[in-house]
Amino acid sequence: MIGVSIIFMGGILTLFLGLNKPEQWSKNTSALLLLLASASSWFEYKGILNFDLLFKWVPQQMLDISGTTEWMSALLLFLGFMIMNIMPSNDKKGADIPALMLFSLSGGILLMGAEHFVMLFLGLEILSIPLFVLAGSNKDNLNSNEAALKYFIMGAFSTAILLLGTAFIYGGTGTLNLNEIQLKLSFASHFGEFPILLKAGLILVSVGLLFKVSAVPFHFWSPDVYEGSPNRIAVFMAVIVKISGFYTLGNIFNSFAPMSAWSEQWILPILGITILGGNIMAIGQSKVKRMLAYSSISHAGYLLLFILIPFEENINVLATYSFSYGLGTISLFYLMDQYSREDKEFSMYTALFSKNKLHGFLLIIATLSIAGVPSTIGFIAKYQLFSSAFAYNQSAVLIALVGSAISIAYYFKPFKYAFDNSGFEKTDNSERFELNLNSVYLLILIVITVIIGIFPTILEYLL
Amino acid sequence: MELLYIPLILALASTMLGKMLSNKWIWSGISLIAGFTLVLNLHCSHNFILSESIVDIPWLGDNIRFNLKVDGLTWLLLLLTNGLIPFIIASQSEDKVSKITPLIFLMQVGLNGVFMAFDGLLFYIFWELAMIPIYFITLIHSERERFKTTIRFFIYTFVGSLAMLASLIYLYGKTDYSSFSYDNLFAVNLNYAESIWVGSGFLLAFLIKIPVFPFHLWQPNTYVWAPSQGSMLLSGIMLKMGLYGLIRWYLLLVPESIDFYQPIVICLAVIGIVYGALIAIRQDDMKRIIAYSSLSHVGLITAGILTLSIDGLNGAGLQMLVHGVNVVGLFWGIGLIERTYKSRDLNDLGGIASKSKWFTIGFFLFVIGSVAAPLSNGFPGEFMLLKSLFNYNTTMVVFAGLTVILCAVYMLRLFQFSMLGEGKNESNKDMCISVNLELILFLILSITVILIGVFPQNLIDIINPSMDQILKELLNVKGVLS
Repeated sequence: MIGVSIIFMGGILTLFLGLNKPEQWSKNTSALLLLLASASSWFEYKGILNFDLLFKWVPQQMLDISGTTEWMSALLLFLGFMIMNIMPSNDKKGADIPALMLFSLSGGILLMGAEHFVMLFLGLEILSIPLFVLAGSNKDNLNSNEAALKYFIMGAFSTAILLLGTAFIYGGTGTLNLNEIQLKLSFASHFGEFPILLKAGLILVSVGLLFKVSAVPFHFWSPDVYEGSPNRIAVFMAVIVKISGFYTLGNIFNSFAPMSAWSEQWILPILGITILGGNIMAIGQSKVKRMLAYSSISHAGYLLLFILIPFEENINVLATYSFSYGLGTISLFYLMDQYSREDKEFSMYTALFSKNKLHGFLLIIATLSIAGVPSTIGFIAKYQLFSSAFAYNQSAVLIALVGSAISIAYYFKPFKYAFDNSGFEKTDNSERFELNLNSVYLLILIVITVIIGIFPTILEYLL
Repeated sequence: MELLYIPLILALASTMLGKMLSNKWIWSGISLIAGFTLVLNLHCSHNFILSESIVDIPWLGDNIRFNLKVDGLTWLLLLLTNGLIPFIIASQSEDKVSKITPLIFLMQVGLNGVFMAFDGLLFYIFWELAMIPIYFITLIHSERERFKTTIRFFIYTFVGSLAMLASLIYLYGKTDYSSFSYDNLFAVNLNYAESIWVGSGFLLAFLIKIPVFPFHLWQPNTYVWAPSQGSMLLSGIMLKMGLYGLIRWYLLLVPESIDFYQPIVICLAVIGIVYGALIAIRQDDMKRIIAYSSLSHVGLITAGILTLSIDGLNGAGLQMLVHGVNVVGLFWGIGLIERTYKSRDLNDLGGIASKSKWFTIGFFLFVIGSVAAPLSNGFPGEFMLLKSLFNYNTTMVVFAGLTVILCAVYMLRLFQFSMLGEGKNESNKDMCISVNLELILFLILSITVILIGVFPQNLIDIINPSMDQILKELLNVKGVLS
């Protein structure tokens, strides 16, 4: 609860700062606020600090940011902090973009904490509307404008579908509170079949959210939007929107748990085509950014496994996976951003390892982590997800394993160029290691990824 | 535990100090002293049967533990790994030292871990960990077709590993306490259909790694284009992971499926023996000959393991060590030839014997070891393997026995065309391999060929107790072989 309060106020503060201070001010302020919000959320989760006063402002049946939601919001804020700091801002003027990112983040946290469909809708809109603007923030670029328009239209449609689903659910149960819905459904489950209205409602709500997280039949917007939007915004969409979207999906399916035997029937095909489709389509991509977009689609598929397993017991699994996915995606997007040239093809990585050792190591570690190779956090996350899902649905896990095997084919493509020194001549300043703030952040990314991979017990202290 | 963190420290040290200390002898010396001390130290404190763990601490929750144990088989493989790695480091050419050495040390961590791990997930992690450095060694330093070869190698082995992971997770779900520990996985009883599936996961991983006949497609090109050190690590040590896994993790964990898979795997292995040997005869590239001969030799070891007799298992254990030594020696010799004569094509070479006598003696010892002439190290192991196969099925041994003849054909052809006669290439006719510290180490390694050949019983004494234990467990606990 404290996190969302800080960054919402912080967003307004940042906007005002932009009036008469240079752009760097607003960026640094928002980054600091994100760190502060993340830390205080984590302390609140651990019970070290207490902000009970804040809870009195919001009615409990609407919003509940405590427990794991609190942890997830701390994670989301930390990843937001990393994105804000690491990804360079290509935009000229500036307070509005950091401020919009803060607003969007606070929407994501409200979405995760929503206990009521109205709150859920509100969170989703606060998350999305700033993103429509941000996607088009590179105004001189035609692709960016296209991305904004496409994202806006798709987003508007998916929200409309979600609202229709909400109305159906209200028709079916007479309430919009997720806890009450769960209670009513568990009574109703003793009387046989569920009403068709409820089923349709659940499908429509899921479709609305699956649009946001770009699961396969609803993924068509995502590669284009990622490609068009500025890199900083693309990684923001890939990380923040996906993590909060999946947490919400898990929350909703938790309330609809009595219907799980029925909902599994259509979640499973979506999961299968998302994993296989995302991975197979990624192989053919020649542009790095589109490859990363499809890779994030395939990760949406792995995360769908989470819908199949009981929510409360396995919440740590989702937390770990989100953490590892966030770290890996941010690293890869950062490298893509640093070496991106006109054609944006894989050859941008040529001689990367000789040009900059730190970037080379980051590429290796991040790739291994996101591909799920042991000794990285990515493996721990994938292992936990697969082994807990294995008890509930073995065929889905087998599909996921096949998908992981396919993913090697495209994740390792940059290595082909990174170690290829042909046509590269060493200059004196090319290999010097500079210790500045940016390289410290990169080192943090590398160290977290490896240390948790080797000593996963650390996660128990974090969680 | 020291066997894991000391190589790790060495890997970090050689990364940091790579520029300053780019002398391979320093790293080779440190690694030689550290490796032998640590392995011999293990010998002193353990009998050669499984006893209490060296380390046993919780790693991920309470159920997945960092559990290491040592028995005779493991000890022998640790000796092989830590004994050969100093030689492999010493075999580099000076200009690549700072790039390859850290990766070799990192690989040592993974390999030591694989052989000692007694927890399912830990085994999987070390299994993958050993694969990452070798991927980068082959990717960065291969001669040609770098990406194509290495990605094929990586995907093949990764698919196998994932299948093994699926099997491990399945077994994990069946254990009483939801635990990955070896003892709990061992206690699981599967029905026939389950065991076929679980067994296929393990077998896929191990047969790809070994490699056995239809799964070998990654192997020849990787061996040929990789730098000599990569080929040595891959064939000398890494494929022993597969054979070790077959004994420790497949036979004991899914013995219910042995009845089904035994004839299939033995058949494939025997096909591989003849197939590898026949192809090797027609090759001109020396490395490619060794690659296919390796396919043929490990086929025999695999077949021996699957006969489930004490002779087969002891022979396999001995032959794992011996094949490691021989193949590392042969690749080292080829590396030396290639550095001096800039070619490893049999059509370009010849007359080396008249120029570099000491080198030829060493190389010849490895050749006869590979051919398995009596009193060389290859003979006892191969004899025991063929004997066990004879007891299993007489028809099989007729084909498997061809390896003795065919191996002599291609190895002697290799020796004859490269060493004897006149040099065929005018430009490098008069060069010779200089006598230096590297050549002396090469000769020291080659003397072990004779030593093991004359005193094989000392090594068999080490593996026999653990192989005996494995067979007893198969017989008593699981009721196989009855």
